[in-house]
Amino acid sequence: MILLVLLLSLKVPDAEQFVGPPKGAPVADAQLFQRTREVASLLRCPVCQGMSVADSPSEMAINMKEQVRELLARGYTEEQILKYFEISYGQFVLLKPKSPVIWILPIIALVVGAVLVILKIRNLSGGPPSPPAPPPLTPESDPYVARVRDLVGGDKS
Amino acid sequence: MLPILGRILILGSLGAAVAGAVLGFVAGRTLSLDGLKWARRCAWLYAALIVLAGVVMEVALLKHDFSVSYVAQVGSREVPTWVTVVSLWSSLEGSILFWGVILGIYIAVATYLTRGRYPEYQPDAIGVWLSTAAFFSFLIAAPANPFHTMPNPPLDGNGPNALLQNHVLMAIHPPFLYLGYVGMTIPFGFACAALLKGRLGHAVLKPLRESLMLPWIFQSIAIMLGGWWAYEVLGWGGYWAWDPVENASLLPWLTATAALHSIMVVERRGILKGWTVTLVQATFLLVILGTFMTRSGVFNSVHSFTQSAIGPTILVFLAAALLFSIALLAFRIDKLETEGRLEGTASREAMFLVNNLLFVLLTFTVLIGTVFPLIVEAMKGKQMSVGRPYFDSMVVPIGAALLFLLGVGPALPWGRATSDQTRKALLPPLIGAALFTLAGFALGVRSGWSLVTLAFGGYAAQVTIDQMFLPMMQRVKRGESAATAFVDGQLRRGRRRFGSYIVHGAVVVVIIAIAVSSSMRQTAERTFTKGQTHRVAGYDITLLGVDEREEPHRLSTIAHFTIVKNGKHIATLEPRMSQYPAMRDPIGSPDVYSTPIRDLYLSVANVDPVAQTATITIYIAPMVFWIWIGVIIMGIGGLIALVIPSVSEAPGRAVAAEHEIETVRPPPRPFAPARGDK
Amino acid sequence: MNRTVLFVGVIIAAALVVILFVGLGKDPSAIHSPLIDKPAPEFSLREVGTNKTVDLTQYRGKPLIINFWATWCGPCWEEHPSLVASARQLQPDVQFLGVVFQDKEEKILGFLNQRGTAYPTVVDEKGKTAIAYGVGGVPESYFLDAKGTIRAKFVGPMNGDIIQENLQKVLRQ
Repeated sequence: MILLVLLLSLKVPDAEQFVGPPKGAPVADAQLFQRTREVASLLRCPVCQGMSVADSPSEMAINMKEQVRELLARGYTEEQILKYFEISYGQFVLLKPKSPVIWILPIIALVVGAVLVILKIRNLSGGPPSPPAPPPLTPESDPYVARVRDLVGGDKS
Repeated sequence: MLPILGRILILGSLGAAVAGAVLGFVAGRTLSLDGLKWARRCAWLYAALIVLAGVVMEVALLKHDFSVSYVAQVGSREVPTWVTVVSLWSSLEGSILFWGVILGIYIAVATYLTRGRYPEYQPDAIGVWLSTAAFFSFLIAAPANPFHTMPNPPLDGNGPNALLQNHVLMAIHPPFLYLGYVGMTIPFGFACAALLKGRLGHAVLKPLRESLMLPWIFQSIAIMLGGWWAYEVLGWGGYWAWDPVENASLLPWLTATAALHSIMVVERRGILKGWTVTLVQATFLLVILGTFMTRSGVFNSVHSFTQSAIGPTILVFLAAALLFSIALLAFRIDKLETEGRLEGTASREAMFLVNNLLFVLLTFTVLIGTVFPLIVEAMKGKQMSVGRPYFDSMVVPIGAALLFLLGVGPALPWGRATSDQTRKALLPPLIGAALFTLAGFALGVRSGWSLVTLAFGGYAAQVTIDQMFLPMMQRVKRGESAATAFVDGQLRRGRRRFGSYIVHGAVVVVIIAIAVSSSMRQTAERTFTKGQTHRVAGYDITLLGVDEREEPHRLSTIAHFTIVKNGKHIATLEPRMSQYPAMRDPIGSPDVYSTPIRDLYLSVANVDPVAQTATITIYIAPMVFWIWIGVIIMGIGGLIALVIPSVSEAPGRAVAAEHEIETVRPPPRPFAPARGDK
Repeated sequence: MNRTVLFVGVIIAAALVVILFVGLGKDPSAIHSPLIDKPAPEFSLREVGTNKTVDLTQYRGKPLIINFWATWCGPCWEEHPSLVASARQLQPDVQFLGVVFQDKEEKILGFLNQRGTAYPTVVDEKGKTAIAYGVGGVPESYFLDAKGTIRAKFVGPMNGDIIQENLQKVLRQ
């Protein structure tokens, strides 16, 4: 009984101090399980090698997943929960990077690459006509090879 | 005794490699027969010495000679013999020695197979191979020396990393990975030799392609084995986490795949020469980058406190290899003259260009996602992560586009086609697309990307089968019997084509399996007491009990389940939690009931042997089986394509056999008006 | 010579090598704390052995070192003597508090009885406090100033010099 009273007086840091009151509707039951997995899969397990909190079996990840579940049950939104973890761990904890640069770079690469390919196709289309079936260069028909062959004297060692 | 012998062998291999590299490059400049001969002898000497050094290490491991530092580090009298054997690659120093051994074998085989055949390229190629070999021998001789003599040898060691002992797949995954990684050195040598000579003749395309194909096959299998291992061991129901180390193995595979395609355009049209050698060089450089990433501790958070000289040494080599490659390209790329031209935008060669664009884009995306956190940290001092949500949303569309191309590309004829021909080639496979999509929908696939994948996959499947059996069908039409037509058209003459389309077909299977298994995966979590049954997705899962089993290297808590479906007992599954002495968190080992239709995967979240309760995460995913099988078929297809005996006697014939097929279509008009013929 | 290839290639190669070189010296498992110069998250936790409640606010007025650790972590054993020695030397001007998480009470008590201690140790059930502090692994130590603001964080085992060095960051404010 005394222990219980003592336990009740304990206080751990709460999300409300950091991200305010819940902005969404509480989630429960099967949906809670599903949502917990979804949100936890966006968080990086800090003690693992790039694994998400949803996937990692380590105790740290289990604790974090438990906290995600609790916050969802209280009605916190995904954004709030991610923000809560970001405040203590920084962007390190977010598996989905916030930086716009990394999302834009592949698109720039695609555009640049596409332009280069189109230019290349244009360029090559204007070149000299190729023979219908290019004769493969055999040592006999290739003067360079023939010269080297001569020089090395048909070495077969 | 053994440490000294090992050390002598390594220093000898270093000497042989350096001497051979110098001789090779000199012979390449002077075209000296004696120089080439001696360079070749050095290559063989290097291979013999480094392989012997590997043998010495294996002997030391098996004899438990703890006076060898590496044996003292990873050896143990307690572990089974197979673990002792594979300990060679279980830890940093040993794995670099293993790398050297495989490089030795590759160099010896490549030198032997190309002897006297490519006299213009071989000296420089040997020079490049042995330069790489010299670097790795230096690494083994100095910063990563596994042959230190232990002044006071311990009586017993700790044994290798516990994870290695967890599953036999971990014993075969690394050799395949090394066979893939290290093998990329050989095509790199040919590419550099071509650049040094300033020409990429038709003859050298064959060794270039084949030496790229073989490691590509190993690499494909290795990536699959790594995923399979993760699936069987890590217990989260997945097989790919976009971990930097995984990405490191994927990057060279992507550029190698691109290069294998662009080589075909070089063979056919004499264009894209510079581009192709660039891709081959990039593949090798990405291999070295991957080696650096996995060995330096920059990305790996488990060994983060190991500050050794190995990382910086590999970085210096990477910088040198980059510089060498760029300089070669810059000075010589314009000499690799274009012989042919492109005759139409809706042709197969144009599709190869798009294919290459997409593969390079994929490489770039995965690379930037992997190194971006480093860039941000170097520039802003802030840490960030790039994980699955990023890679999935980037890679899925590019992958879908590649699958689309895998259908459209081979359907289009080489050269110029009329719009009528194009229509005839492109329309019929829509039937396959419709069939696959409808079948998927009927079986419950609802995710948009999966349906798109099925449509593209169905299209590609029809095109692939059409193209695969084209030579045979042509012969059948000419009146040959189906059996002789198959042997002649598929196996004897069109073997390379046959193999390539088997690879394409397998890729379709793998991509569909990945898309369907991930989009239709069901997850549930249930807590069982002894004797309790839960029904999940039609499976009746009953906990029979929990027991503990003590083995020399671990303590396992095993939950025994029986699985019943439709009243029939189908499996007994025993997921477990294992506690290894050296590790903090217990490692869960899932158990999988795998069928071609779907997998039932049980993973322990919590297990209590006293209370006889277990909390289990249950994953049910269709088609996972086909990912592993598909990649194995890819490997088989690759092997079929690789072995073309007719070509080694007469280099032109395989290409001629390919052309034979094309002549069925009206030959391209060489001097048709450039535009406006529609 | 193809200048475009040379130019583009050299830029990409140089950038890659420089970034990898900078990355070499870093410990990828050390997470920089975004909480530096922010008020420390408040908590009141139960002290091991005594069942008294320890509240963070009662440490205001003097610098405080919060050390997250666990008995299963080897480096924690390694740093324990230095922490105790520093505490004996610096208290009461500098205060010390141990926070244990992911551990069992009897193990903690056994550890402390065997190796001695000089400051209170509290238990963080379910690791909520550790999560709020952004703990990525143990041991990790946070250095708070007299007003309860986090001024420094150290990842890994500490010794006397490291403790002094990080305390300077607190006192400099």
